[in-house]
Amino acid sequence: MADTALATRATGGPDSAVLRRGGSGLSWFGMPVLLAVILGATYLWVGSLELDTIERRTLNADQLTRSTLEHLHMTAVSTAIVIVLAIPLGVLLSRPFARPVVPAVLGVANIGQGVPSFGLITIVILWTSLGFWPMIIGLVACSMLPILRNTMVGLEQVDRTAVKASRGMGMSPLQVLLRVELPLAFPVMIAGIRTALIINVGTATLGTFFGQGGLGFIVYNGITLNRTPVLITGVVLVSALALLVDYLAGALGRLLAPRGL
Amino acid sequence: MTTTDTLTQPGPARSGAKPMIELLGLTKRFPGTAEAAVDGLTLTVDEGEITVLVGPSGCGKTTSMELINRLIEPTSGRILIDGKDMTHTNPDELRRHIGYVIQETGLLPHRTIAQNVGIVPKLLGWDKARIAARVDELLEMVGMDPATYRGRYPKELSGGQRQRVGVARALAADPPVMLMDEPFGAIDPITRERLQNEFLRLQQQVRKTIIFVTHDIDEALKMGDRIAVLRNQSHIAQYDTPENLLTSPADDYVSDFIGTGASLKRLNLSRVRDIEMATDAPTASVSAPVAEVRAALLASSWTSLLLLDAAGRPVRWVTSRDLGRAERGAALADVGLPVEAIVEPHATLADALDELIASNVGCTVVVDGSGAYQGIVDLETIMIVVRTVRDEYERFHLAQKLAQQPADGRAR
Repeated sequence: MADTALATRATGGPDSAVLRRGGSGLSWFGMPVLLAVILGATYLWVGSLELDTIERRTLNADQLTRSTLEHLHMTAVSTAIVIVLAIPLGVLLSRPFARPVVPAVLGVANIGQGVPSFGLITIVILWTSLGFWPMIIGLVACSMLPILRNTMVGLEQVDRTAVKASRGMGMSPLQVLLRVELPLAFPVMIAGIRTALIINVGTATLGTFFGQGGLGFIVYNGITLNRTPVLITGVVLVSALALLVDYLAGALGRLLAPRGL
Repeated sequence: MTTTDTLTQPGPARSGAKPMIELLGLTKRFPGTAEAAVDGLTLTVDEGEITVLVGPSGCGKTTSMELINRLIEPTSGRILIDGKDMTHTNPDELRRHIGYVIQETGLLPHRTIAQNVGIVPKLLGWDKARIAARVDELLEMVGMDPATYRGRYPKELSGGQRQRVGVARALAADPPVMLMDEPFGAIDPITRERLQNEFLRLQQQVRKTIIFVTHDIDEALKMGDRIAVLRNQSHIAQYDTPENLLTSPADDYVSDFIGTGASLKRLNLSRVRDIEMATDAPTASVSAPVAEVRAALLASSWTSLLLLDAAGRPVRWVTSRDLGRAERGAALADVGLPVEAIVEPHATLADALDELIASNVGCTVVVDGSGAYQGIVDLETIMIVVRTVRDEYERFHLAQKLAQQPADGRAR
C-alpha cells in the first residue's frame, strides 16, 4: 500500500515500471522499523533493571543525549569536511593531466585507511594538541579514501561514448563534468560517502580517549566499571546510529539519483 | 542514378557544386608514435553530398573524422567549412554547428529523449518553447511519435530507436554539416537496412553535407554519393562515385577491399525507376468477364496475364489453363497464382532481382506508391542493364585512354 504510493510519487506515472525508484516497502521501511524495535527492546530491558548509582550516573537521559549529540557532531563535521575535500580532489585526479600524480595521492590516502585509526588520531594529537579539531583531522584522514576512490571510480565508469558525444556536440569540458560525468557517477560516489559515514560513526567512539566524549564514553564506562547494562546500551546506541546514518544517506542517494540509470 | 550522370562525373574534381568541407593536408601525429595516424589527408566534400570514408580498422578513418570537429586537434593542415578556416576557432563553438552521430549513439542515459534531442539548441541558448517545438518536429521526422517518446529514457528504447534519436539529436540545430561515425554499426542487419533507407529518405529532405565513416563496403556503396577508400594513415586509395569504384577500381587494394561480387553490388546502385521496364504485359480487371480476359491474353505475346483489382493493384497471375478453370465456373480471383514479387520504383535492381528469384513466376511487378500497377521487371531487363552499364564504362575508359589524358593521374 505504502509501496504503491511511493512508487507513483517517485516516477510520476504507473507505466514507467522500469524506472521505479520506490523499491519494495521493506527496503524503505525495514531499517527504521528494525532500529525502533532494537532501541525499544533495549529501553524496556534497561528500564526493568534495578540500576545502582554508578550505573545511573551514566544511564540517564541527560548523559545519553549529550553523548549522542557529541557523537553526531564529530561525525557530521568530519564527514562534511571529507566530502568537501575528497570530491574535488577525486575530480581533479580523474582528469587526464593528473594521471602522473594519481598513485602518489592514492598512496597517501591509503595510509589514512591502512594505519589503525587509534594510532592515526594519536599521532595527529601528539603532533598538534588535544581538542575537537585535531580529533576531526584524524577522522578526516581515516575516511578520506572511500570518497576519493569512489569519486574517481565513479567518473571512470561513466560511459565514454556519452562523454565523447557530449564533447562532440559542443559542451565545454566543465559542462560535460557538471551535466554528464558527475550525475552519472553519482550512485558510485554516494556509496563512497556512505562508507565514509560509517567509518566516521565508528571511529568517533574513540573520541572519549581524547576528551571529546561521544558514545564511546558510555561504552568505555561500561567496560571500566564492569557494568554490563551500560556497556550494552552504549554498543546498541553506536550501532543504531551507524545503521541509521547509513540508511538516511542511502535513502537520500536513492531520492537524488538521476532517473533513467 | 543514370549512366550518363556518372560518365560526366568521373573524377573527384567536379564543377557546379559548392565545396562545403575542405580538408587540406590534415595530419595527426600522436605523441610518442613514429607514424602519423593521419598523414596529409586532402579531401573536398560538396554541399549536400554524403561522402563515405571507408577502410579497414586502424586505417585512421575515425581519427580523420574527429580531426574535422577537432575532438582531436590536428598536428598540421587546415579545415575549411563553407570556405571559412575552422582550424583555430573555438572548438566548442565549432562543434555546436556540426551534427555528430556515433556508433553507440552516446545518448545521455540520465536525460529524457526530449532533453537529449534538445542538448545543442540549449547550448545555443534557444528558449524553451522553441526547443520543445523543434524536438517534436525532429522526433516526427525520424518516425517516432513525440507524445509517446518525448518523456522516456534511452534505456527504455530499442537499439534502432536509440539510433534514430541519435540522428534527430544531430539534426537539432539544423547544422549544415554532419559527421556520422559508423552510425548503424551496432544494429541488427534488418533494422540497419531500414535505418539506412530511412536516413537516405531523410537526407533527400534535409540535404546535409555529410561525412560518414564505415568499415562496411556495402554500406559505403549504399549510402555514399562519393566514397573515399582509405589505406593506412588515411591515405586515399581512391575517391570516387560508387559506380566508378565498382567498375574501375584504382588498384588491387581497392578491388580487394570491394571484394567479390562487384557486378552484383552494382545492382544496388541502379533503381527500378531508372530502367526501362516492360509495360506491354497483358492486364485485365479481376471482375471482367472471362472471355474478355482470354481475348486480352491471346492478343499479347505473353503466356500469363496480370489481373488487377478496381484500384489497379495487381492481384493474380493467370495462364490460359487457369482461364480454362475459370470458364468451368471457378471465380477469377481464385485461379492462377498470387502476385508475390512487388517492388516500388525507388527499389534497387538488387531488391527487384531478389524478389524475382523468390517469386513463383520469374518476374517482379512494379507498383507506384498507392500500389497501382506500373510495369514488369524480368531477368532479361536486369541483364540488359548490367551489360549496358559495363559496355558504356568500357567505352568511356577506352576513350579516356585514347585521349591520353587521365583525369587525375590515376591508372584507369
